Amino acid sequence: MNRVFKALADPTRRKVLELLRVRPMTAGELCEHFPVSKPTMSAHFNVLREADLVDARKQGTTITYRIKLSVLEDALLGFAQTFGFGSDAQPATDPASAASKGPTP
Amino acid sequence: MIVKRFGGAIALAVTFLAAVAALRYASVHGFIGEDVATRVVQVIVGLGLAAYANVMPKNVRGPRRSAEAETRAQAAQRVGGWSMTLAGLAHAGLWAFAPLPFASPASMAVVASALVLTLGYAVWCFTLRRRPGRPDGA
Repeated sequence: MNRVFKALADPTRRKVLELLRVRPMTAGELCEHFPVSKPTMSAHFNVLREADLVDARKQGTTITYRIKLSVLEDALLGFAQTFGFGSDAQPATDPASAASKGPTP
Repeated sequence: MIVKRFGGAIALAVTFLAAVAALRYASVHGFIGEDVATRVVQVIVGLGLAAYANVMPKNVRGPRRSAEAETRAQAAQRVGGWSMTLAGLAHAGLWAFAPLPFASPASMAVVASALVLTLGYAVWCFTLRRRPGRPDGA
């Protein structure tokens, strides 16, 4: 559950889930919606995959992501979107660099 | 594989049967009233339904023929998961707090409505919503 909260705490990852709610999308299609580099988006996708919130299927060179939210996780996502927890972070943060910085006092 | 797939369901069934047996024992020996035993069993049934429906949208199946079919399957699973989870919680809530003569028909009506909504939406997604001229099955 900790991984789910960590994944939902970031606005970019929440936006990814919002987009995947509408329909499954390829990694390229998702990246078009964010002004960040592909490695950064890839790190976000990894966090979502580790939390088991998305399903990734590779077909050739294309990775298609599908949403994989339980009803409770879906409700948590809606709650997080409404009340914006974690929204003090920038909309498109690099999870790799954020992790290397460690906790702030 | 089989244990992974059915282990949780078997554990839930054993827990459910043990709870029913314990309630029956308590009811027969006068520790609790018969109404209380009925209510508790029905609350467990409702919560079990909610727990199962909660993970319904998470059961992602293999690839479908097209992206359109994937989208429809995803929408049907989400609507089904939400409606059955809410119905399960409503079932549990009704049996916990409503008067017994009202709880029984009301809970059945709620669950039946959710089932009709789930199946109706799935049928709509895979038949009526399909755009003409796009041969994409599920």
